[in-house]
Amino acid sequence: MSVVSTDPLIFRQSTVEVPWPAVRWLWPVAGHLSRVGAALLLPAALLALWQLAVAQRWLPEQIFPAPALVWQSLVELWQSGELQSHLQISATRVGWGLLAGTASGLLLGFGMGLSRTVHAYVFPSFDVASQFPVLGWIPILIIFAGIDEALKIAAISIAVVVPVAVNAQKGIANIPRAWFEVARVYGFTRLQIVRRVVLPAAAPSLFNGVRQAVMQAWLTLVFVELLASSEGIGYLMVWGRQLAQLDLVVVGMLVIGVVGVALDVALRSLESRLQRWRISAF
Amino acid sequence: MAHAATLEIANLSMQYQVEGKKLPVLDNITLSIKPGEFVSIVGSSGCGKSTLLRLIIGLENEYQGDIFLDGNRIVGTSLERGIVFQEHRLFPWLTVEQNVGLGLLNASGSEAGKRTSVQEHIELVGLKGFENAYPYQLSGGMSQRVAIARALVNRPEVLLLDEPFGALDALTRSHLQQELQRIWEQEGITMILVTHDVEEAAYLGDRIVVMQPRPGRIKRIVDVPLARPRDRASADFTAIEEAVLGEFSDKSQVELLSVTAQQSRVSDW
Amino acid sequence: MSKLTDIQQDGLPNSPSGALSKIQWRGWVLPLALLVLWWLVTAQGWVNTRLIVPPANVLKVAVTTLSDPLFYQGVLFSVGRDLSGFFFGSLAGVLLGTLLGVSRLADRLIGPTFHTVRQISLFAWLPLLSSWLGYGELSKLVFISLSTLYPVALGTFEGVRSVTKAHAEVARVFRFSRMQMLSRLILPAATPQIATGLTLGLVYAWVATIGSEFLLANWGNGLGNIVIKGRAAFNIELIIFGMLAIGGVGVFFNRIAVRIESRALRWRGPRV
Repeated sequence: MSVVSTDPLIFRQSTVEVPWPAVRWLWPVAGHLSRVGAALLLPAALLALWQLAVAQRWLPEQIFPAPALVWQSLVELWQSGELQSHLQISATRVGWGLLAGTASGLLLGFGMGLSRTVHAYVFPSFDVASQFPVLGWIPILIIFAGIDEALKIAAISIAVVVPVAVNAQKGIANIPRAWFEVARVYGFTRLQIVRRVVLPAAAPSLFNGVRQAVMQAWLTLVFVELLASSEGIGYLMVWGRQLAQLDLVVVGMLVIGVVGVALDVALRSLESRLQRWRISAF
Repeated sequence: MAHAATLEIANLSMQYQVEGKKLPVLDNITLSIKPGEFVSIVGSSGCGKSTLLRLIIGLENEYQGDIFLDGNRIVGTSLERGIVFQEHRLFPWLTVEQNVGLGLLNASGSEAGKRTSVQEHIELVGLKGFENAYPYQLSGGMSQRVAIARALVNRPEVLLLDEPFGALDALTRSHLQQELQRIWEQEGITMILVTHDVEEAAYLGDRIVVMQPRPGRIKRIVDVPLARPRDRASADFTAIEEAVLGEFSDKSQVELLSVTAQQSRVSDW
Repeated sequence: MSKLTDIQQDGLPNSPSGALSKIQWRGWVLPLALLVLWWLVTAQGWVNTRLIVPPANVLKVAVTTLSDPLFYQGVLFSVGRDLSGFFFGSLAGVLLGTLLGVSRLADRLIGPTFHTVRQISLFAWLPLLSSWLGYGELSKLVFISLSTLYPVALGTFEGVRSVTKAHAEVARVFRFSRMQMLSRLILPAATPQIATGLTLGLVYAWVATIGSEFLLANWGNGLGNIVIKGRAAFNIELIIFGMLAIGGVGVFFNRIAVRIESRALRWRGPRV
C-alpha cells in the first residue's frame, strides 16, 4: 500500500512503473527522445513568435528581418563562399591570438607557480594588470599597431594570457605538497617533476583556463571587429547593420553561436578524454 | 517532560525497484514499542535497519503494512517524530543556536518561548557557551550533540537515532552514549536506536531487536532487564552481549558443533 | 606617477603577517623598473615622443582631468550605468538560475536554449540592440544586464543544484514549506556559488559598460567617452589616463566584490 506524500514538490521522487517487460528496452530511448523534444519546444515557440511578429509587422521591416530572409541570406552567403571566408579570417585571428596568448600565459603562469622568486617579482603587477579589462588596452594598441591584423591578434593574445596564466598559477598552487615530497623521495629530476606531477595535477585548472580563454578570445575578437575591421564575422555584422540588412546581423550572430557551441563541445570532449586517462592512472 | 508515544509496526514489508526487478528490503516486521521505552536495533549491513527508521520517520513512503503512532497511521514526516542521522547534517551557514532553532521553525508557540526552549536544549546537551559558534568550529562530537538538541527541541514523541555515533572516535562515542542515556532519563521520550555496535545497544536499550539481512527480518528480541547506569564489565552485561552476538555467528557452524557434540556422546556411550 | 602607485598599493597581495618587508618590496621592482624605462626612453628621445609620450605629460593631463568636475560626472555616469545593469542582470540571473536549478521541467524546457544562446559572444548582440534600441542609455543598460545575467545565472544554477539530499531530508523532517525550502535551505546553501557568479558578473558588467561606451558612442558621458575624445584629438596622454582610470575602477570593483564575498561566506571558515 502506498501513502500519499505531503512533502514539497521539489523533492518528490518519481518512480515510473514499467508496464510490460517487453517494452523495457524502449524506456531509455523514449526518455532520450522526450528530452530532445522538450529542449526543442522553446526554440520552436520562439521561432513561431518571430514569424508571427514579422507577419503582423510589430516592428518595422528594416530592423526586424523575417526568419525566411535570414535563412535565405545564410544560404546565399554560404554558397557564394563569403561566409566561409569571413569565418576563416576571424578564426585565423582567434587561432593566432590563442596560440600566442596561451604560450605566454603558460610561461607566465608556470613561472609564477613554480618559482617563488618569479612569483614575488611578477605576481603583484600581474595581479593588478589582470584586473584591467582588456578593452581598456585597445585604444592604446590602436595607436601603436593601427587597425590591422596585428592589433586584433595582439588584443586577443592579451585577453587570452590572463585566464591561462591565472589558472595555471592557481592549478600549480593547489598541488598538495605531499606529492612533491613523494617525487623528492624518489629522486625525480626537475623535468620529471614537471611532466609527472605538475602537468597532470594542474590539468583540470589548465583546461578551465583554456575554456575561459576561448570565451575571452571570441569576446575580444567580436569587439575589435565591430570597432575597426574590414573583414571577418564582426565586420559582416557591422556592414549588415549599416546597410539596414539585419538579416546579415542575425546570420553573423548565429554563426558566432554555432562556432561557440562547437568549440565548447570540442573542448569538453578533449578534456574528458584526457581526464579519463588521468583518473585511471591515479 | 515530553509526551511519549506508542509505536506499533505491523507486518511491515518494503521493496526497492531496481531495473524493473523488486529487491526485498524488509519482510514482515512486527514490533510494538511502549511509551518511554528505549529500543536498540542491531544488525549487520544490508539488514534494512536504516530503511526501517526512514519508513518510521516518513522519508520513504512506499511500503506494505502499517505503522501507527499512538493509534494514528503515520503520513510523511511530522514534528512528532524526530531523527538524528549518522552525519550531523547541520546547516553550515547557521550558528549552533540557529541550527537548533530549525526544529522549532514550524512549531507553534511564542518567539520568546522558542528561544528559551532552544537555550534549554543547548544546555541539555552540554554545549552552553557555544550558541554563536559555526559548525566548522565544532568537533564531530559537538556537532552531533547539536544535532541531538535540534531533534529534541520540538519535543517529539519518539526520537529515532540512525547510527548516531558511528562516525566518531571510540572515546567520544562512549562519552556521548552516557550523555544520551542521561538525556533519555531526563526527557522520558521513546527512543529507537539503530547501531551495529552490540555493546552500545546493550548499554542503552531496554530491549535489543536483532535483525537478519536479505531480506530484513526480526530474528530475535533480547530483553535487557539491567538497572541503569549499566556496568559494561559486569557478568550480566557480558551475558547479554554474548546472547546477541550469538545470533550473528554462522548457523552452519552452530549445527556442526551440535552434531559433533551428539556424536561424541554416542561414542562415549 | 602617484596614480600608478596608488593602483599598485591596492594591488599588492596580502603577505603573511610577520613577513619581511623585503618580500613586499620585490613586488615593486618590476613596475618601478618599467616606469624608469619609460621615462628614460622618452627623456633620451629614443622613441617618437608623439606616440610614446613621457610619463610626466601623462601626469599633467591626469592632474588637469582630475580637477575637472566633468570627469567625475563622467565616472559617475559610467559607474551608475554599470551598477544599474549589474543590479537588473543579477536579479534576473538569480531568478533564472534558481528556476532552472529547482525545477527539472524548467531545466529541460529552458536550459538547452539558455546554454546555447549563452554561446553567442556578448558583443555580437550590440548591432542588433543598437538597431532596436538606438545608441542611448537603454541599449547600454540592456547590454550590461545581459552580460551580468549569464555568469550570475550559471553560478546560481550550480549553487542550487549543489544542495545535498542530506540537508534536504533534514528540511523535510522539520516540515519546511516550499517557501522555507527556498529561503532557508536552497539559497543559503547556494550562496558560495552565487557569490562567485556575482563577482564574475561584476567584472563582465564593467567590461560591458566600457565596451558599449566604445561601440555605441553617442558623445554622451562616461569614462569610455573620455578615451574616445582622446582618440579623436590624438591626445595620447588622455588615452593613457583614460585607460588607467578604466582599469582602476575595474580593480576597485574586483576588490570590493572579493571583500563582500568573504564577509558573506564567514561561515565557511578559513579557506586555504
